[in-house]
Amino acid sequence: MNESIDRLRRLFEEDFSKISGMESWKSVRDKYLARENGMITAELKRLRSLPKEERPAFGQAMNELRTFVEEKLQEKLAAVKEDELSAKQQKIDVTRPGFPLAPGNAHPIKQLQAEIEEIFVSMGFQVFNLPEIEEDYYNFEALNMPRNHPARDAQDTFYFDDTKLLRTHCTSVDVHAMEAMKPPIRAVSTGKVYRRDPFDATHSPMFYQVDVVVIDEGITMGDLKGTLEAFLKRVFHSDIRMRLRPGFFPFVEPGAEVDISCIFCSGQGCPKCKQSGWIEILGAGMVHPKVLQMSGIDDSRYSGFAWGMGIDRVAILKYGVDDIRLFFDNDLRFLRQF
Amino acid sequence: MKISIEWLKEYVDIKESPEKLKEDLSMIGLLVEAIADVQGTVVLEVEVTSNRPDCLSHIGMAREIAALYDRPLRYPAIQQNLSISPDRVPYKIEIRDADLCPRYVGLVLDGIRVGASPEWMQRRLEAAGMRPLNNIVDITNYVLLEMGHPLHAFDFDVLRQGKIVVGRAKPGERMRTLDGADRVLDGEMLLINDGGGPVAIAGVMGGLNSEISLSTKRVLLESAYFQPASVRRTSKKLGLSTEASYRFERGADWENTVPAIARTCLLIEQLAGGRIAGSVQDVYPGKKTPVRISLQRKNAAALLGVDLSNAFVESTLKRLGFQLEPKGKDSWDVVCPTYRADMELEADLIEELARFYGYQNIPATLPPGKSVGSPSPVSGIEKAVRAIMTGQGYYEAVNLSFASETDHTEFPPLDGDRIGVRNPLTEDTQYMRTTLAPGLVRSAKRNFNYDQHRVRLFEIGKVYRPGPDGKPSERNTLGILGTGGFVDQNWINPRAEYTFFHMKGVLAALLRGIRIHSFEIESTNAAGWLNPADAAILKIAGETIGVLGALSPGLEEKYKMKQPVYLAELDFERLARHAFAPIQYESLPRYPLVERDLSIVVDRGLAYRAIQKGIAALGIGELTGVDLIDVYEGEKIPSGKVSLTLRLTFQDRERTLTVDRVQGFVDTVLSFLINTYGAGLRST
Repeated sequence: MNESIDRLRRLFEEDFSKISGMESWKSVRDKYLARENGMITAELKRLRSLPKEERPAFGQAMNELRTFVEEKLQEKLAAVKEDELSAKQQKIDVTRPGFPLAPGNAHPIKQLQAEIEEIFVSMGFQVFNLPEIEEDYYNFEALNMPRNHPARDAQDTFYFDDTKLLRTHCTSVDVHAMEAMKPPIRAVSTGKVYRRDPFDATHSPMFYQVDVVVIDEGITMGDLKGTLEAFLKRVFHSDIRMRLRPGFFPFVEPGAEVDISCIFCSGQGCPKCKQSGWIEILGAGMVHPKVLQMSGIDDSRYSGFAWGMGIDRVAILKYGVDDIRLFFDNDLRFLRQF
Repeated sequence: MKISIEWLKEYVDIKESPEKLKEDLSMIGLLVEAIADVQGTVVLEVEVTSNRPDCLSHIGMAREIAALYDRPLRYPAIQQNLSISPDRVPYKIEIRDADLCPRYVGLVLDGIRVGASPEWMQRRLEAAGMRPLNNIVDITNYVLLEMGHPLHAFDFDVLRQGKIVVGRAKPGERMRTLDGADRVLDGEMLLINDGGGPVAIAGVMGGLNSEISLSTKRVLLESAYFQPASVRRTSKKLGLSTEASYRFERGADWENTVPAIARTCLLIEQLAGGRIAGSVQDVYPGKKTPVRISLQRKNAAALLGVDLSNAFVESTLKRLGFQLEPKGKDSWDVVCPTYRADMELEADLIEELARFYGYQNIPATLPPGKSVGSPSPVSGIEKAVRAIMTGQGYYEAVNLSFASETDHTEFPPLDGDRIGVRNPLTEDTQYMRTTLAPGLVRSAKRNFNYDQHRVRLFEIGKVYRPGPDGKPSERNTLGILGTGGFVDQNWINPRAEYTFFHMKGVLAALLRGIRIHSFEIESTNAAGWLNPADAAILKIAGETIGVLGALSPGLEEKYKMKQPVYLAELDFERLARHAFAPIQYESLPRYPLVERDLSIVVDRGLAYRAIQKGIAALGIGELTGVDLIDVYEGEKIPSGKVSLTLRLTFQDRERTLTVDRVQGFVDTVLSFLINTYGAGLRST
């Protein structure tokens, strides 16, 4: 009788010595103590087949064994748990590279375009999404540039036929806005524009512009200056200074050229601004009375201002990009930098 | 326009330094781009805008400076008496088309000795960027640069019948111009003819036959006014632009004709021995009157947003050569100088006031805000797509909207035809692109050349095709490109290469991100530039949205890509219409889900879609998900067959799922697969 108990005990001790972790601890525990078919439980069933007088001794020896097994396992559990814990706390080399998940990013010009549109929306403007294929009327005639006007020379145009062309600026927003709504008008349009220019470091047949128009009663040139200044400061994120000087565009009168203090030298003078301290950034002015009239706005009651700016130009100034073609090469080494 | 300061000083006192002049002139609208030194002479390079032809001369610039600093202007000496009686050399001027030539002033001189012009004149011409030729030509150029009026000198003895006839050309008429070129003219071009034929293209260039030569003894001077639009049209049509045409097309001063000829006459008398032989003839059929504009001070003040005094208005405009006739309180009738071709309405006068008030002196204000801003209707979907694509590791590309002939042959439009540009600049800008693919492929190639072999790009841009009315139209499109390793080489995980299923995955992620809940991918044979092996179309609710697949082997070879390139192209507008399904909250399940894996062996040719649809058709409501988690081909699997491991997910919203119920469902699925597809359970 005792032989089987002793054998069981030796078996347990052998298995017990091989416990190496949580899993093996659990399987040893289950092997011996499981309710259904653990070895101790099974052995206890043999009680019924023993002669009556052997039962109490057998029962007691089994209980001692069971207590022994439970206590040993309980002790071992603490050690096993501690081993597990320290394994988890084993230091790894945190200086190795992390898994290379890399987000992409938006195109620098699109980023600027979105930023500019947001600035205008926050200033109460409606963003117009206008087609790139435009009518000569909206791109030129309604902006006081009739056919054969010398001012058209400055914008060599791609034509599809006698009336349809690729827009050379977004200034047609002035006309579309006036047709779409009555004053007060605050409208802006951005997007691709096209000129018959060669593709070199400073020119591209395709680039991006933003055009703005405000029309209401009592709009003054002072309002043009103030709105422009507020906008430019936000676009360039700095305390740049702005100056207006007389300029000519057929769709505005008075017309103005707008310079900002050179962001490279803070207006001190450097090669980037040809030592002048100023960089020409955009054209602006008060909407020409003829432009208002042509779109059915009473120029004796309403006045307005407009301006237009190249977004690539802003990118070039803001980021110091030295070749406009880089924006359209899609070289990842370039795109990643934004 | 190159302006010599030394020359300017003849007409106006200048004590300011060149730098100060540069600054001050720029601030009144005459941008001085640079101060140059031309052989010891200080020259201002002035950018004169097309509305100020009156500044295309030294006197014009001197006028502005005189107005700016409020100094007197000195006009050059001219010949006062332009008539003799009787004429030694009679001649005739006839204007046939007065609409194109309202005024023609002629003068004949004899005793001409053609030679070199004096040094001081040559130096001034060179400072202004013109080449000295001979005294007669130099004098006419000098007067052009001095007074701004283009004159022409004819060798009088070459003029047949001693007459000038100004009229339109006959269509197809030809003549040889001074530069030696043979010109073919049309019926709208204005010519200067003599008694036999054309001797000059009016306002543009003189003829070769009547030009001044060393043997010229008598000259006929022309000082005329030609209609700006006509000169411009002729100049453009012939591709011929000269100092003369440049000024005429912007609007010359018809009152400057006689003074200019008088000045030229004096210089010829002084420098070339000439004497008046035929009295001045001023043929002036189209009498032009100066522009008159009504000005009200309150309008000027209102537009600029500043207070202006009557004194300021009057003194400024007078300094600029305007005449004011008071017309009631604070208002005038303003007579504009004839040299101001840009004057038309009150706003033009207000600009004069503004530029002398100083744009920098106008205070900056903000107009009251009455409106609430709104972004463009497409910005919401574009922003979302951009965010999702960049989040997936794609970089946004922008390609030019043009395409070449080659692009069209290699990447034919998926539907519709292409649009041609009528006046392209280069071969590359002949057409508008019908697909984003060539631009993206070229971008990938460029990146390969710079050792970037893992390329993931997307582009949101327009493609262009004839619209339903046959006219050019544009559609917003999304293009995606993926090639190379799915992640960078790293020490943690093995590196997968980009495959069709990575492209499909990013599309699925995109659609999910813009709340499009179901879509279909179907194989297609109409592949175009895609590899027919995996060319597929994307459909949402039965509508074709776009295509995806690998670049065709032919194009891969042509572009020497060395690795497969995957592309997708979706019609953005159609995509947008399906996007942003309304959000409908669904309460969270309270009972745990159960997952069971099923490994089956099926024919390789069986489409996964069939299995998906078949299982769905079983109508087991508690089966909430079927995912393909493994595909195995190889030993242990009979050839022609493949092992698929499906993960089935079960969930009951009402009660806990029992093992028996789950097993029942699994058995139903398995029987279906066995009976329908002859599937076998994979033995382990």
